Amino acid sequence: MLKERNQLKFEDKWIHMRPIVLKLLKQEPVSQAEWHDLFYDVHLVCLWDEKGPVKLRDHLHEDIVQFIKQAQKRVLAQRQEEALLKAYIAEWSKFFTQCNYLPTPFRLLETSLQGKTSATSSSNIQGSNNKKNASDESIVRKLMLDSWNESIFSDIKHRLQESAMKLVHAERNGEAFDSQLVIGVRESYVNLCSNLEDRLEIYRENFEAAYIQSTEMFYRLKAPEQLTTNGVQAYMRYADAKLKEEEARAQRYLEAGSNNVIQCCVKVLVGNPLSVLLAECTPLIKAGETERLNLMFRLLERVPEGVPPMLKELENHITQAGLADMEAAADIITQDSEKYVERLLELFRKFSKLVHEAFSDDPRFLTARDKAFKAVVNDTTVFRLELNTGRNAGGKMVTPESKCPELLANYCDMLLRRTPLSKRLTSEEIESRLKDVLLVLKYVSNKDVFMRYHKAHLTRRLILDASADSEKEEDMVEWLREVGMPADYVNKLARMFQDIKVSEDLNAQFRISTERHDAINIKILNAGAWARGSERVTVSLPVELEDYIPEVEEFYKKKHSGRKLQWYHHMSNGTITFATNGGKFDLDVTTFQMAVLFAWNQRPHDKITYENLRLATELPDGELRRTLWSLVAFPKLKRQLLLFHPIVNVPKDFDEHTVFWVNQEFALVKNGKTQKRGKVNLVGRLQLSTERSQIEDNQSIVQLRILRTQEAIIKILKMRKKISNSALQTELVDILKNMFLPSKKMIKEQLEWLIEHKYMRRDDDDINTFIYLA
Amino acid sequence: MFTKVAMADENDNERMDGDNQKLEKMFTLKKWNAVAMWSWDVECDTCAICRVQVMDACLRCQAESKKDSYGKQDCVVVWGECNHSFHYCCMSLWVKQNNRCPLCQQEWSIQRMGK
Repeated sequence: MLKERNQLKFEDKWIHMRPIVLKLLKQEPVSQAEWHDLFYDVHLVCLWDEKGPVKLRDHLHEDIVQFIKQAQKRVLAQRQEEALLKAYIAEWSKFFTQCNYLPTPFRLLETSLQGKTSATSSSNIQGSNNKKNASDESIVRKLMLDSWNESIFSDIKHRLQESAMKLVHAERNGEAFDSQLVIGVRESYVNLCSNLEDRLEIYRENFEAAYIQSTEMFYRLKAPEQLTTNGVQAYMRYADAKLKEEEARAQRYLEAGSNNVIQCCVKVLVGNPLSVLLAECTPLIKAGETERLNLMFRLLERVPEGVPPMLKELENHITQAGLADMEAAADIITQDSEKYVERLLELFRKFSKLVHEAFSDDPRFLTARDKAFKAVVNDTTVFRLELNTGRNAGGKMVTPESKCPELLANYCDMLLRRTPLSKRLTSEEIESRLKDVLLVLKYVSNKDVFMRYHKAHLTRRLILDASADSEKEEDMVEWLREVGMPADYVNKLARMFQDIKVSEDLNAQFRISTERHDAINIKILNAGAWARGSERVTVSLPVELEDYIPEVEEFYKKKHSGRKLQWYHHMSNGTITFATNGGKFDLDVTTFQMAVLFAWNQRPHDKITYENLRLATELPDGELRRTLWSLVAFPKLKRQLLLFHPIVNVPKDFDEHTVFWVNQEFALVKNGKTQKRGKVNLVGRLQLSTERSQIEDNQSIVQLRILRTQEAIIKILKMRKKISNSALQTELVDILKNMFLPSKKMIKEQLEWLIEHKYMRRDDDDINTFIYLA
Repeated sequence: MFTKVAMADENDNERMDGDNQKLEKMFTLKKWNAVAMWSWDVECDTCAICRVQVMDACLRCQAESKKDSYGKQDCVVVWGECNHSFHYCCMSLWVKQNNRCPLCQQEWSIQRMGK
């Protein structure tokens, strides 16, 4: 037995093996016994014949090649494209199926062939590691595929490809065919590849390349044709549809994971006619054609240089439309802050909707929108606010700023104060409008101006107890904090609320402590939280008021020590009863108005000259004129409280001999009927500052900006030690943007100032680099 | 003689005011909302130690108050015998190192505290 085995020769066994192998290749039925025999024979040959494995492989190879040659003949016999493909795919799929079966009996052959190249021990480990991929990497399989590749594929691949591409082309033109044919060709490309690192190598270099080329050719012809015959609008729909179609087609016919075909389509369909497409952008934005814009956006987004011009167009359009809108309505909106804010918001909503619908809120478009909004909000052509500091008479002009923050603050005031507007609206409506204001405020670059006006309005509301809803007032402060208003601004507002509460407690205590004073309320406030300008206005109070002063001061001294009180009579106010011959009216008045009116108590029917009123009240000239004007020409009154002679049109034309007297016929007129009783508010806008302190106020804003800029520069330098001019500017704007936008000029001036004062210096080698000096 | 009469008149008027305001006067006071501002009665507005206005909380208190309720009122002012004034918080830290007034170098002793 052993001897017999020793003499076992490959040639003896191959005779039995060969027919079975051929049957397998041809996909003819193989009995179980034959199948088993093959295993056994392979086993014997590999085990007992030293040269067996090599010989076995060579013979196997030869037979495979033979088989393939026959298959090739069968395929090439077909003349027609479709038939050729069909035949090829049929042959190939047969062959490929066998690739999975034929190697199985030859496993042992593989191990013995491998054993020659690597040590047995390691091959065991390798074997177990690679078990999973065993069939993929089997030598016989590789042999089969390589043979197919060399002997049939190389010869006819061009014909195959061409045929496949012709079919795809036909499909593009709307003809139906069996897509399986193209898929089959593609699969053969992929499966043929025995390169383990890159399985798609053959496929990519041949099939995909051909596919891309034919696609490009197709659309290179079609696209311009479509564009010229059907126009841009239709073309965009065409391009969009075709891109989707090609994506679907690529999914069907190509391997996943490669985007080259679509990129090629995009280049031909969108990249080439880009300028024609872009020219359509502005008209579409103007017409608000969101659907078409969306289509355009989807198309242009696919090419890198497509979106930026669209952004530019959008920004330009919003800016222009916004400014045109503002200018057209200039007459109304400069006067009426409600109309202004509403107009602005309407504009915002319109364009936000456009960006949402046309560009799906793409961040890049949102940024473009925001940029345009900023330009509209901060524009100074319709109206401007000049931070007149009183110093720029000497030719030093201050750059004008948008009046927007002032109007926004006015609008807030209308919502938060008891006004017809705030009464008309529900609490939710007020809240949403306040949020709207905050939205606009986001775009305002001089936020510090808003805060100044807002604070002034708040002061008035708190002092006159005119808030519509104190809860909402405090909410607003928190919202301001949330939108990033600098903490020190917001804290000041919060402090005012706190202080007013302290003052209310104090007032309650005061009223308990005395019995006769139910006619007086006191507000004693923290000067640090409320007052800005130091200026007070002198006034000689009517005795009725003057009497209270020492008592309040006495009371306060008992409560606190180390404090001094300053009376702010320009802020105080009250209610007086005015009795005429026929009627009785309650008048809400300022203390100044009170001082003027009380002058008539001693001589009710006298005409008093301006000069005598001045002596009686001791009010400064400007204040007296203003106060008198509010009594002779109060806008809401049909019949004025005081009459005067000679008639003038502006308060500054009063002279010292102008005489004033009480209008004994005073009455309220409602619906054309005179009323005998009633209440009038003559306070108007409570005056917080005089002209001089207005200038002081402006100065303080400018001064504060200077300090903030210096502070921020030092902060940055402390951190960076050394920084280039441009980087410094960027960081500076970033720090300050919640307060104001520093002008280039101011930054430069402050840099010079800091250098002069040795806080920093310029780099010796580069004057545009700054170095921090500790 | 003339002046005497005038004064008598005025006295009369005043008495009548008190008794019977509403009948006599054209304008009578119903309510007065008086506004005043208080501030520390100091010679210098700024605390020489922390360089913050004495009306505002000192630097430390400002930094801390960011965490809890803002605008606390208890950062008071202190006056020394020399009449110089500082935030009480600032001064109490200062005297631990140097018991002299930072402005005039006199020995520090508290004259009074703000309340």
